[in-house]
Amino acid sequence: MSYAYLFKYIIIGDTGVGKSCLLLQFTDKRFQPVHDLTIGVEFGARMITIDNKPIKLQIWDTAGQESFRSITRSYYRGAAGALLVYDITRQRETFNHLASWLEDARQHANANMTIMLIGNKCDLAHRRAVSTEEGEQFAKEHGLIFMEASAKTAQNVEEAFISTAATIYKKIQDGVFDVSNESYGIKVGYGGIPGPSGGRDGSASQAGGCCS
Amino acid sequence: MDFKLGRINLNAVAQGVGGLVFGNDTSASSEDSYVERLLDRISNGVLADDRRSAMSQLQSIVAESRAAQLAFGAMGFPVLTAVLKEERDDIEMVRGALETLVSALTPTDAAGGKKNEVQPTLMNSDLLSREADSIPLLLSLLEEVDFYVRYYTLQLLTALLTHSPNRLQEAILTTPRGITRLMDMLMEREVIRNEALLLLTYLTREAEEIQKIVVFEGAFEKIFSIIKEEGGSEGGVVVQDCLELLNNLLRRGASNQILLRETIGFEQLVSILKLRGSAYNFTQQKTVNLLGALESIELLLMGGLDAEPGKDFNRQSNQTAFAQRNVLDHLLLLGVESPWAAVSVRCAALRCIGVLISNHPLNLDALANKVLGEEPHFEPALNSIFRIILRTSSLQEFIAADYVFKCFCEKNTNGQAMLASTIIPQPHSGIRDPLDEDIKMPFGSMLLRGLTVNENDEDLETCWRAASVLSHILKGNIQSKERVLQVKLEAPMTSFGTPELLMHRIVKYLAVGASMSRNNGDCKTSTSSSCLYTQPIILRLLVTWLADCPNAVHSFLGSQDHLTYLLELVSSLSETVFIRGLSAVILGECVLYNKSDDNGMDAFEVVDAISQKIGLASYFLKFDEMQKSFPFLSAKASQHRKPLARSSAASMSEVENVEESTAIDPKHDEDPVLMSIFDGPFVSIIKRLETDIRQSIVEVFSHPKSKVAVVPAEMEQKDGESNEDYIKRLKSFVEKQCKELQDLLGRNATLAEDVAKTGGAGVSGSDQANGGKERVQAETLRRDLQEAKQRVEVLKSEKTKIEAEASIYRNLAGKMESDLKSLSDAYNSLEQVNFRLESDVKALREGRSEPGLDLEAIKAEGREEVQKESEAELNDLLVCLGQEQSKVERLSTRLVELGEDVDSLLEGIGDDVGLPEDSEDEEDR
Ligand SMILES: Nc1nc2c(ncn2[C@@H]2O[C@H](COP(=O)(O)OP(=O)(O)O)[C@@H](O)[C@H]2O)c(=O)[nH]1
Ligand SMILES: [Mg+2]
Repeated sequence: MSYAYLFKYIIIGDTGVGKSCLLLQFTDKRFQPVHDLTIGVEFGARMITIDNKPIKLQIWDTAGQESFRSITRSYYRGAAGALLVYDITRQRETFNHLASWLEDARQHANANMTIMLIGNKCDLAHRRAVSTEEGEQFAKEHGLIFMEASAKTAQNVEEAFISTAATIYKKIQDGVFDVSNESYGIKVGYGGIPGPSGGRDGSASQAGGCCS
Repeated sequence: MDFKLGRINLNAVAQGVGGLVFGNDTSASSEDSYVERLLDRISNGVLADDRRSAMSQLQSIVAESRAAQLAFGAMGFPVLTAVLKEERDDIEMVRGALETLVSALTPTDAAGGKKNEVQPTLMNSDLLSREADSIPLLLSLLEEVDFYVRYYTLQLLTALLTHSPNRLQEAILTTPRGITRLMDMLMEREVIRNEALLLLTYLTREAEEIQKIVVFEGAFEKIFSIIKEEGGSEGGVVVQDCLELLNNLLRRGASNQILLRETIGFEQLVSILKLRGSAYNFTQQKTVNLLGALESIELLLMGGLDAEPGKDFNRQSNQTAFAQRNVLDHLLLLGVESPWAAVSVRCAALRCIGVLISNHPLNLDALANKVLGEEPHFEPALNSIFRIILRTSSLQEFIAADYVFKCFCEKNTNGQAMLASTIIPQPHSGIRDPLDEDIKMPFGSMLLRGLTVNENDEDLETCWRAASVLSHILKGNIQSKERVLQVKLEAPMTSFGTPELLMHRIVKYLAVGASMSRNNGDCKTSTSSSCLYTQPIILRLLVTWLADCPNAVHSFLGSQDHLTYLLELVSSLSETVFIRGLSAVILGECVLYNKSDDNGMDAFEVVDAISQKIGLASYFLKFDEMQKSFPFLSAKASQHRKPLARSSAASMSEVENVEESTAIDPKHDEDPVLMSIFDGPFVSIIKRLETDIRQSIVEVFSHPKSKVAVVPAEMEQKDGESNEDYIKRLKSFVEKQCKELQDLLGRNATLAEDVAKTGGAGVSGSDQANGGKERVQAETLRRDLQEAKQRVEVLKSEKTKIEAEASIYRNLAGKMESDLKSLSDAYNSLEQVNFRLESDVKALREGRSEPGLDLEAIKAEGREEVQKESEAELNDLLVCLGQEQSKVERLSTRLVELGEDVDSLLEGIGDDVGLPEDSEDEEDR
């Protein structure tokens, strides 16, 4: 399980925008049309490679409901990256709430947390209520990275998680973080040189495996 | 009490005030004023030294006197919180304030007091936790540099958690970075680290949200690094605390389990099981540590306690990941090859083996192929585990090892077949102890020896244990059932010298077991558990064996004695409800799966025997009685929570008590062996069987086997058949029918008697019925009553409906009557008019005969007119009448259908008195 770095992510945004589906698509490469409502937080993990270095992503998927807000705030501080998700087909409810989510994050997260804004469900073009430009505009105003994605078709899902990691990685190279302090949501692994078995635990699902 | 308080008071005073004397005043008010003065010095004093000394005096008196604790609670909190908030720079004051608070929440040594007296420490804890900002304040103190400040703060938080867990959990959750700060303490100096560990352990017992955040903050890494630092299983109580925290984090939900598997893996957990140093040296602490690690493994292998049956993915992934870490080897080493380890450790390891293989094909194979020991004494691991089953003196260990076989055979047809294939009688060569470890024999031979050993000895210990394993091997596997049916024992028991069937031998042991428990009277006094478990376990074996297996039924009924014996068991009052119930199930299987045609006893005979010897009603009652006790058995053994205890004393003593806590108590519903016999799957098999059995018995009664076929053609006289022959033939036919009729009448009478008995049982049966039976009967009666009530309700509503309908028809009939009447009135009046006219005409004719012509003409005209008119009216009238007539007819039939007495109804038209009574009669029916 050797990795060069371990990054902790959180996924935030209103209920129903597709946070859990994005995580499932990223860790298990599948889409589940009927997903249980997330209670509190759920966990997922996957190994990726950036700059030839194995990087382990630990991802916490949060519940969007107001009643869980105070609990999910406990996760902001220790996270290196956040995916802030809205639903491009639901302008009023989800896009307009972005500001309040962002405020929460700014207040409770460490200042160097990388935030990726995701306009999800871009496969539903015919029901689009938020234009790409609006998303871009919001991201630009608040200094976020932006991408439209679909947890259903997997479009841009890998990219979203990976480019967030790439940004964090770059910040590390630039010396923004004190990586020895784990409270930034970053952990240094062994050497950072991918060993021969580096990618073995590539996804959450492990095939049968050989017998002992 | 007063005197005692006074003495403490004096001590405190002597110690704290150094010579200041309060005289003999022992009333609580002296504490009040003393505490008040000290608090006043702290809050209003100007000399730093004086304030500090006031603080230390306050601390010592609060630590020693209940009254002072009470007094402090009433006034002290605002003063000390102010110190904590505003005087952070004065470390000594902050320390003092924290220590005083700790004392205010810690019961004094002399806290005896009266039971219903207010506990000042509880009250104080409540007061402090109620204060909205006190917990954030305390959490912020964890960031102070001073060691004692952090140490006392942690103690204070722990005390608060003990008394007001919910409030503290909530406050910590809502304090930003609250848990992060606590987690940071884990990286601190030892004393603080251990204190924080304990606090986190308490915090994570219930609150799932806290469990997740703790994990998010990297708890797993920290836990394992501390365990490693402390020497793994050889470490002290800190390792134990770490493992308890770990188990709290893994107990619920899959999320944390996935995180452990995906980020750290199970290697470090498995390596705790590695026995370093002297393998023979199992200290108590090491035993406790190993138990903790084994609990973690079991939790992971089960996918958590909340794991939903359908969502097996996490469980399977954990099983696979553990197998890759060779956990099986470590578990076998602990569970099978470490006789010097504590029994509780061996049991836990065996249980882990069970869950490791359960429903996991690869791991099942791995266990099946595993061999233990060193050359040349290799032995399959399953054989070694089976030997434990036969040999162990601990019931717990029997259950744990039996569980391995249960898991191994569950949904594992190949595994069952593999084991069954080795059940071949070995030639009886000399006297060998099958338990002798040096003699390695195939599994099946061990099993047979276990089953049949010590036939002279009254002790059936190995027999029931082996029987338990055999029932796992046969469960749901028709091939294995058929195969073992063929097994005959070489050494003939009977004088005739025919080899005896294994099954028959086992039934024989059932009888021996029964006589043993009868002779022993009270099994509790017996040192052997044989008399307790032989019967239920052999009965379960037979229930399992006979299910879906006509050949097994045939073989079982092969001896007439078996049926007789079972019938006896079912009705024996000295047996437990389980024995009676299971025997009833077996009898039922003899009906349900009975495919005998000519040779052997068929289903009809079995049913007849049941209804004659037991009576069907009381037979079915046995099922009810047993079902009633299932809830007791299936209720999960409650997971007892360990009390919040600083030391591990509690869990230590638990380890030692494992054996005693399983003391044999046959009447106890939570008997561990009975619990493992009546596990979920077996209970549901019995429930399914019961339904089928009831149905098949009804079937038997509704389709009595007809001995005489009635073929219409044969009733005719055949060609060329003489009258005499024909009559003879018919006569014999009638005779046969008569006999069959007699049979049926007999059966009918038995049933009727049965029914009659059931009816009267409530009164007459009470003299001999025990409590349980009465309860069952009461239950049945209540149900009957309920049903009767419901039926009455239905009838009542039906009655009102009918009444309503009747009254509608009555009204209708009334209206028709009056219509009729007015019609006939009209007719009458017409006739009268006619008559008058006629008489007028007559009078006219008589009075004036001359001007006849005109008059005659007029008269004729008038008559004609009137006649025409009345004829038309008459016609109308007749038509009307006809219509009404048919209406009345239709209504009458409808009324008859509804059960009304139409005649009386019609009779009563005009005076409807008789009707309501009629319908009342109906309701009574
Ligand atoms: N068409 C479409 N539906 C999606 C997409 N992502 C999620 N959904 C649906 O949106 C609903 C909510 O998804 P979920 O992941 O539970 O939302 P969460 O509350 O943010 O975790 C589900 O019914 C998903 O099937 C997407 O990319 N395209
Ligand atoms: Mg969700």
